[in-house]
Amino acid sequence: MKTMKLEIVTPNGLIYEGDVKMVTLPGKEGEFGVLPEHASLVSLLETGVITIETTEGKEIMVAINRGYVKVDENKVSCIVDGAVLINDEEGRLSQRMAEAKELLKSAQTSDVAIAAAVSKVESIKKSY
Amino acid sequence: MASLKDIKRKIKSVKGTQKTTHAMKLVSSAKLKRAEELAKRSKMYAQKITEMIDEIALQIAKYNDVSDNIYFRTVENPKTVDIVFVTADKGLCGGFNSQTIKSVNAMLSEYEAKGTTVRLRAIGKKGIAYYRFNKREMLDEIEGLSASPSYEEAAKFIRACVDDYIAGKTDKVVLVHNGYVNMITQEIRVDNLVPVDPSTLPEGSTSNSELELEPDDDDTLLEALIHRYLEYLMYYALIDSLAAEHGARMQAMDAATTNAKEMVKTLTVQYNKARQEAITTELIEIISGVESLK
Repeated sequence: MKTMKLEIVTPNGLIYEGDVKMVTLPGKEGEFGVLPEHASLVSLLETGVITIETTEGKEIMVAINRGYVKVDENKVSCIVDGAVLINDEEGRLSQRMAEAKELLKSAQTSDVAIAAAVSKVESIKKSY
Repeated sequence: MASLKDIKRKIKSVKGTQKTTHAMKLVSSAKLKRAEELAKRSKMYAQKITEMIDEIALQIAKYNDVSDNIYFRTVENPKTVDIVFVTADKGLCGGFNSQTIKSVNAMLSEYEAKGTTVRLRAIGKKGIAYYRFNKREMLDEIEGLSASPSYEEAAKFIRACVDDYIAGKTDKVVLVHNGYVNMITQEIRVDNLVPVDPSTLPEGSTSNSELELEPDDDDTLLEALIHRYLEYLMYYALIDSLAAEHGARMQAMDAATTNAKEMVKTLTVQYNKARQEAITTELIEIISGVESLK
């Protein structure tokens, strides 16, 4: 199984770093998934949720407001204004979810995009 | 000669001041550590974003001249210049604020000698107070941002500047702040925000592979990226200035504490001397009294 490196950086520091199998990103022109050895790409990111599938098969969600992604063959760098890692090993899911929702709601985009992202965040709870 | 009671009162008051300055020093050093950490963490973001701008600019440069772009064009003789400067909201930090103000003043007179209109945008209470006192008009005044920098607020502020630039109201935006070098040194930093000087962007390692862009419009992407870059520069100036402010205050308060200590010492000597003198005089009086009775 091939993997790639993923980094999510905000002005306040590194949010996530690690090897992943797949990542789904909320692009400006629609959501798209990236697998290892993807062609080089730069895209604007919209308010939404990044879904990461780690090498261990775990699913991690990160809420973002807006930013960029740069994809290389084996590395994905996300540069975003604000991000909240929703579920990691440490738990505290409900607190993180509240933070994520706040971040999404304060984003300056269309209500539709925000609503979609918020509902996605809420769906995490159900699956847990 | 001050009376014994006066000296005693003075010693007590100096000791009180010493306690305050010492406490302020401790507070500043704790805050400094936090600000330093924040600055360090955000450096990574800076690195990534400059890398990306560089790459996209290169990509675009393949097809058309970058200097045509409104953000990259060079202005020989700007008619209007905006100076954005950051000072602290609080004083008691040595020459920290006055250094910034001094360099802003130097720039002001330099530009005005060339016949350039200068508009000031002030962040921080101290700078605002200074220019208000000197009856110099400011375009923008923001308080409270330099004490607790937030990315959103910084972004909102800088967007107004960039909008003015695009609308042609100003030809150049310069950012001045007093930056952090280490615990005891601060340094005035001047950044040209727009137009962006392409040579200031670090040379990144550019891959040869064709870059796919989405949205498939170079300008939108570059524009948005540059906005992010400027927002970040503004935010970074704020945290850098905050770290420097705490450093300066720590130093100033340390000096004040030492001075107070010194003062207590001399006052104590003075007090002891005065007390001895009083005793001596009293003794002489008694002795001479006894002497006269003989």
